[in-house]
Amino acid sequence: MKVLVTVKRVVDYNVKIRVKSDGSGVELANVKMSMNPFDEIAVEEAIRLKEAGKATEIIAVSIGPQASAETIRTALAMGADRGIHVKTDVAPEPLTVAKILKGVVASEQPGLVILGKQAIDDDCNQTGQMLSALLGWPQGTFASKLVIEADGIVVTREVDGGLQTVRLASPAVVTADLRLNEPRYASLPNIMKAKKKPIAEKTPADFGVDPSPRLAVLKTIDPAGRAGGVKVASAAELVAKLKNEAGIL
Amino acid sequence: MSRPHADAEVVAGMDTFCREVLAPHAAGIDERGQSATLHRRQLAEMGLMGLNLPTELGGPGVDAWTLFECVALVAAACGSTASMVTAHYLATDSILHGGSSEQKARWLPPAATGEHLGAFALTEPGAGSNPADMTTMAVRDGDGWRIKGTKHFISNAGEADFLVVYAKTDRAAGARGISAFVVEPAVCGGITIGKPERTMGVRGGHVFEVVLDCIVPGDSILGREGSGFRTALKTLDGGRLDIAACAIGIAEAALAAATAWAKEREIGGHPIADFQGLQWMIADMAVDIAAARGLADAATAKRQAGERFSLEASMAKLYASEMATRVTDAALQIHGGYGYTSDLPLERYARDVRIFRIFEGSSEVQRNIIARTLLG
Repeated sequence: MKVLVTVKRVVDYNVKIRVKSDGSGVELANVKMSMNPFDEIAVEEAIRLKEAGKATEIIAVSIGPQASAETIRTALAMGADRGIHVKTDVAPEPLTVAKILKGVVASEQPGLVILGKQAIDDDCNQTGQMLSALLGWPQGTFASKLVIEADGIVVTREVDGGLQTVRLASPAVVTADLRLNEPRYASLPNIMKAKKKPIAEKTPADFGVDPSPRLAVLKTIDPAGRAGGVKVASAAELVAKLKNEAGIL
Repeated sequence: MSRPHADAEVVAGMDTFCREVLAPHAAGIDERGQSATLHRRQLAEMGLMGLNLPTELGGPGVDAWTLFECVALVAAACGSTASMVTAHYLATDSILHGGSSEQKARWLPPAATGEHLGAFALTEPGAGSNPADMTTMAVRDGDGWRIKGTKHFISNAGEADFLVVYAKTDRAAGARGISAFVVEPAVCGGITIGKPERTMGVRGGHVFEVVLDCIVPGDSILGREGSGFRTALKTLDGGRLDIAACAIGIAEAALAAATAWAKEREIGGHPIADFQGLQWMIADMAVDIAAARGLADAATAKRQAGERFSLEASMAKLYASEMATRVTDAALQIHGGYGYTSDLPLERYARDVRIFRIFEGSSEVQRNIIARTLLG
């Protein structure tokens, strides 16, 4: 079974995000970028499936500017077999990404697509669900466990009330949650070997998709700073404030 | 930080590994004097133990520029780990430079994967910067060699699977009477290793006294008799450049900490970065590091080209090690009392870099080497 994994290039989780002075977005110049951490988990899961003999080939796909090829290289260094880079300088929206991925799926015919549950830059948490709907495939989102069985894919989902286990018919879409696995580090020998693995270059037009945005960003602002607290004189005053000002009681 | 020649993907991968795996334990290793071999498995999986070796011997096949940046990153995260790893490189470089192709094929691949840990045993209680004074002897014993003597300050010896031991095979021939041997303690026996020395810094990069009275097989000698000193010198060229990398890595970490601190810490309502006296300190630190990098680049360029770089390595090691003392001291000073506490890494940086001016040829010996090259 072929496994398709998606990898997005995002601002590194360790970077302190700064809003651009003109409010048009966040500062990306001279900022360390890396693979979306949930996508790392998706890649790791695919590699484990291959190591267990359940997957035959792992294809890592990224949609974004030239530099996204570096993110695909990281996936290849971790253990993916080849890459597909769909080049676009427009920051793609979830629906655009899902439409392009639908085209990639049509040409690659994977038995399973694993995505990160969301990207840590825009936190949309939509692409996997949209892809599933566009393909008409079953979905197992927020996966904390994934088992391939003869008659389907068993996914344990992290839902608000606890854990939910679903059985999906293959082919299916799964999105990875934090506890699915702990991704490996790409070793230095594997980083060197990954340089020889192929990355196919595509454009959104190859899949009949127009990447221009449907959403307009009006402005980007910093979260409001924390306001100073006040000391209350008595429990009665505290209760009054909770009732009248905070509206909690 | 600009690293124009190094492989960006490898450096980025190393940076993440150092930040997430090595750095969180550096203070604990230092405080407890715990051996940095704690990280041996992860370092091996990362492929770091064979970074100095070509692909045909099991290394990842990175160039000299990338090797330099990786060593600098490891040292910036954990000086003790850098000491352990670079000592392993000295052992494997000795085999690489001095061994036959059979010997390389036998000992280097398991060392490259990190399955076997190496130690480099040159220094003796009475022969540090002048190896020709060594008294350890190797004499023919049947088909093999009997090695007898004492080595001192040997990194990794406590857990090493093999030691490259330098010993005299001809007492009268001075430096030309030195030969190198691969000694596997578990195979030959007769090797007594002391307790780790208690040291000022690099407390997890354990060093030991090694007492040898052992018989090793005839094929343990690297190259021909009397070639050991040449092998050691060639190996030390790389080792000295590794030390320059460690010094630069730690100095850069200290400067980064100092600039961040200077912008945060306020006195009289102003960040201390607003004061010109402090700005000049920061500027001098940056210039000092850049100068060391320039010398190291000259050595790395020659290493990459496959040329001898003894003079350049000596210059880089001398300047970078002394620079690191100045820069880490200034960074600590900028942090004031907080820098003196063990809650911040500044005092550890200042202790860790002190050994760089001493081992693999002290600053004074480097000056001798440089002067001898000029004066003949």
